[in-house]
Amino acid sequence: MEATAVAAALESAIVGQEQARLGLLLALVAREHAYLEGPPGCGKSLLAETLARAATVRPAFLHFHRDTRSSELLGETVLRADSAAGGRRLSRELLPGALLEAEVAVLDDLSRAPGEAIGVLLPILGERRAAGRALPLETAIATAAPRGAESYGDPLEPTQLDRFAIQVRLSGAVSSDRAGEARQILERAVRTRAEDSAAAGSGLPLALAERRVLQARAAALEIPAAIRSALLRLAVRLCEVSPEGDALITDRGFGIQAPRILRAHALLRGADRVAEADLAAVGYMLACRVPESVRAALPELIDELISAPMPAPGGVPAHGAGRVSGEGGGAATTPGASVEADRIEVSVEGAVSGPHDDPASAEVAPLLEAIEGRFERGSAERGDDPGGTPRRYRRLRRLDEVFDADPTEAVLFVDGQLPGMPHSYARERPSRGGTLAVLRDVSASMEGRLSRWAGEVVDGIVRTAARRRMRIGYCEFNHCAERFSADGRFFHRRYRKLRSLARSRRSEGRTNYEAPLRLALDEFRRGVGDNRHVVVLTDGVPVLGDPAVARERREARRLGIRIHTVFLGLGECPRVLDQLSRETDGLQFRGVPTAGGRLRVQERFERSVAR
Amino acid sequence: MSGGMGGSELAPLRALLDRHVVGHDQAKAALLLGLVCREHVYLEGPPGSAKTRMAEIAARGSELDFFFYQMHRDTRLAELVGDVVLERRPLQAGPGDPEARGERIHQKIEPGGLLLAQVCVLDDISRAPGEALNVLLRILNERKFGDAPIPLLSAIATSNPMRDEYYNEPLDPANLDRFGLQLSVEGLVGSGEPELARSLLDRFVDGEVEEQPLLEPVCDRGLFDRLFARLGKVPVPEPVRQALLQFLQTLVRDYDCNETNALLTDRSFLVKSVKLFRGSALMAGREAVAAEDLDVLRWMTTFRVPEEVHARVPEILERVKEKCG
Repeated sequence: MEATAVAAALESAIVGQEQARLGLLLALVAREHAYLEGPPGCGKSLLAETLARAATVRPAFLHFHRDTRSSELLGETVLRADSAAGGRRLSRELLPGALLEAEVAVLDDLSRAPGEAIGVLLPILGERRAAGRALPLETAIATAAPRGAESYGDPLEPTQLDRFAIQVRLSGAVSSDRAGEARQILERAVRTRAEDSAAAGSGLPLALAERRVLQARAAALEIPAAIRSALLRLAVRLCEVSPEGDALITDRGFGIQAPRILRAHALLRGADRVAEADLAAVGYMLACRVPESVRAALPELIDELISAPMPAPGGVPAHGAGRVSGEGGGAATTPGASVEADRIEVSVEGAVSGPHDDPASAEVAPLLEAIEGRFERGSAERGDDPGGTPRRYRRLRRLDEVFDADPTEAVLFVDGQLPGMPHSYARERPSRGGTLAVLRDVSASMEGRLSRWAGEVVDGIVRTAARRRMRIGYCEFNHCAERFSADGRFFHRRYRKLRSLARSRRSEGRTNYEAPLRLALDEFRRGVGDNRHVVVLTDGVPVLGDPAVARERREARRLGIRIHTVFLGLGECPRVLDQLSRETDGLQFRGVPTAGGRLRVQERFERSVAR
Repeated sequence: MSGGMGGSELAPLRALLDRHVVGHDQAKAALLLGLVCREHVYLEGPPGSAKTRMAEIAARGSELDFFFYQMHRDTRLAELVGDVVLERRPLQAGPGDPEARGERIHQKIEPGGLLLAQVCVLDDISRAPGEALNVLLRILNERKFGDAPIPLLSAIATSNPMRDEYYNEPLDPANLDRFGLQLSVEGLVGSGEPELARSLLDRFVDGEVEEQPLLEPVCDRGLFDRLFARLGKVPVPEPVRQALLQFLQTLVRDYDCNETNALLTDRSFLVKSVKLFRGSALMAGREAVAAEDLDVLRWMTTFRVPEEVHARVPEILERVKEKCG
C-alpha cells in the first residue's frame, strides 16, 4: 500500500511519537487538518515537514510569528503597470503564495500567530477557498507550543481548534523521562551525522493520483449502523464524563470529521469496512477537545459502549476490542472489568476538581473585564513598531518601509515622477507589558468559601495579566506581608507558579493594609516603566498598621500606580478602600453572595449609566 | 575546559584570543566550540565584557566573514539580511495574456549582512521586535534563506542580564533553545577576580592590548570546514552515552526538572549535545569523546534549568563521570 511509504518516511525521521505519526497519516488519508502540540525540540515540526515532503510534491511551509500579517499568508502583492490601453494603467496583483498552491501545508508555530493572521487562515482551512478560487489544499498540519500561560502568543481558542480534526499532544523523551526512547534518539544522533535536519524522505513523494486513490478508497469504506450509533453514543458519553464546559464535542467534529477519521483508520489497518476497532481512532481527535483524564479513559469508554449496548454503570467489558496495528504510545491497555468503571469515575472526578474545588463558584468575569480595560488604558500609549497595525500615512523614511508604501506613489517614485518620497504606513502598537502587584488578605476571617473565592479571583487576574505579558508580584498578608518571589524577584512572569499560589488556603492572623502596600510600593519604586497596577483583595478592616494608609496613598498617586480594590467581606466596605481606589484612579469591586452559595464580583459604584 | 588544546589546529586561534582578550576562558572555549560544531552561542553579560571583541577576533583570525548588528526596538528583518529594492520586471506575454505589455514591480531583497557572513554577532538580541526575531532565528536554525543555503557557521547573540531590565522581553523558551551553547559572562571588574582586572589594566596601559587590533589571520578559512568534516567521525563510546542519559535522568528525577521549569529538549540534549561532545574532543585533540567532554553540558544548561539546579550541575557531572569511568 502506498501509505506505507509515507509511514516509513515518518518512522525513519523520528523516534517514538507513535500517536503523532499515526495521527498525521489519518489526517492525510481523511483529508482533514491536524494539530500537534508539544514543547520545543520534541519533533513536531520535523514530523510535519517529513509528512509534507513524503506525501506531496507540492508542500508549503509557513512559519508563524508574533507579527505575522495576513498578507504573508496569501502571497506577494505586486504592482502591475500596463500600457496596453493606450494610456498607463496601474493595478495591484496578488501572486499566489505557497499556501494557495500547496496540497499539504505545514503551519509551524501557529500558536504565535496574531488574531489578524488566524482570522484569515481559519476560513481558508475550513472552506479550502481563497482569493475567489478553490485551493488544492488537502491537509494542513499546525504545530504549536503547549498552551501554558508562559508560552508567547495567544493560544488558539477551542472553537478554532475544532477545525483541526486530528489533535495530538507530544512530549519530550528527556523531560518525560522515557529512558528507552531517549536512548534511541541518542543512538541515532551518534550514528547519523549530527545534523538537525535529518534528511529523511528516501523515495519519491506520493503523486496526486496515488493520494486520490487512497483517499477515495477510504471514503468508500462502509460504516455499519452499529458503529454509527456507537460513535454517536461515544460522543454523548464524552460530553457526560467531561466537566461542564470542558468538552468541545461539536457536530462538525463527530458528524463530519470523525467518520472520515474512522474510515482512514480502517483503511490503514487494511480492513474492508469500519469496525469496532476503529473507534479507537477517536483518540487522535481529543487532545484539545476533552480533558486529558477523559482522553486517557477513552479505551474504557469504548469497551463500556461495546459490551453494554445500553450505557449502564458497571457494565462488564467483554474483551479488549481487537487492538489496532500500529496503535501504541499513549493508548491504554485494557485491564479488568469493574475496577475500570471505578477508574473512569475517579479520573473524571480529578478533572472536575482541577485547579478549583468548585467550578465557577465565583463569577469574576465583570471584574476581569474591567481590570483588563484598565490594563489596556495604561498601555494605551502607542509606539512605532514595525510589527504593529497601520495607523496613518507618513513619508517614507527608510527604503525598507517600501513594503508599506502607497502603491501608486511607489510606482511614480520608481518612474522618477514623484517629487520627494512616497507615503508609507506608520505602524504602531500599544506598548506591551506592565507590572501588577496582587495583594491578598489571608487573615483568619478569610476562610472556607471566602478563601476559595479569593483564589479564583487571583487565578483569573493572573490569567488576564499573563495574556498581556505583564510582570506580576504576589503577596499574601495578614498582620504582616509575605512576598512570593521567583529567582529573587518580586515581579516576574512565572504565571504557572503564580496560579498554583492562588490555590493557597491559608487563613490566620489579623488584617494590616499598610504592610502589603508598603512592600508593593517599595518594589515598584525600584523599577521603571508605566502601566503599573495593584489589586488588593480583602474581607476586613485593618486593625494593625496605619488604618488610613495615608502615606501609601500619597506615594501611589505620585508614582502613578493604580490601586484596584476587591472587597469580599459581607459587612460594610471599609471607607479606606474607597479612598484607595478613587484617589489612584483604580477600580473598586465587591463580592455579592448569590443564592446557591456563589459569589458575584461586581463594581461597587456603577461608573456611568450609559455604559 | 581552557588550555588543553595541545596539538589541535585551533591552538593558534586560541592563542590569538588570549593575546587580545584577558580572562573569559569559558567564553573563549565556548565560542570556538560553537564555530567548530556550527552551533549558535548565547552570551548574557553586562556591556563592555568583551563579548563582541572575542567573536570578531576569532572571525578575523581565521579569515571568516564577520557581520555585526546592533539590534534595537525597530529592527526590521531587511536590515539584517540586506537591502530592500524595488525591481521592475517586464510582463511575460503568456497564453492567458497574449497582449501583455508593461511590467510588474516587485520588492526584492539584495542579499547582504547576515546572509553573507560566516560569523555574526547579534548584539542585544532581546531588544528586537518579534517579527525580526522569529524570522531571524529561523534563518539561523535552518541556515538557509528562502531556498538558498547561507555560509553562516555560528551566530553569537548577546543580551544584558535580564533581572535589571524592565523593558526587554526575555527570549521565549523555544527561541532560546536555538542557541546550543549558553553562557553567562561577567565583566572582569565585577567578577570578583581582581587579578584579572589588574592584568587587563596593566596590559592595556603597557600598550599590549589595542582597542582595535590589526590582526593577521593565524589560520585559513578552510580550517572549520576540515574540522566539521571530521566531526561526525569522532566515536562516542558507550560509557559517555550512558553518562549523558544518567545526567539527564538525574535532572528530571532528582532535581524535578520538567517541562514547566526547564528546557530539556530532545533536540538539544540528545542530538546537539552529541555534536558538541565531538567538537570538544576534537578541540582537545582526542581520538574519541571522553568523560571530560561531558563538561560542555555546563554550557548547555545555563539558562535551560533553574538557576539553583545549574549551580549543582558541575557536581552532578562529577558524579556521573565517576560512575561511568
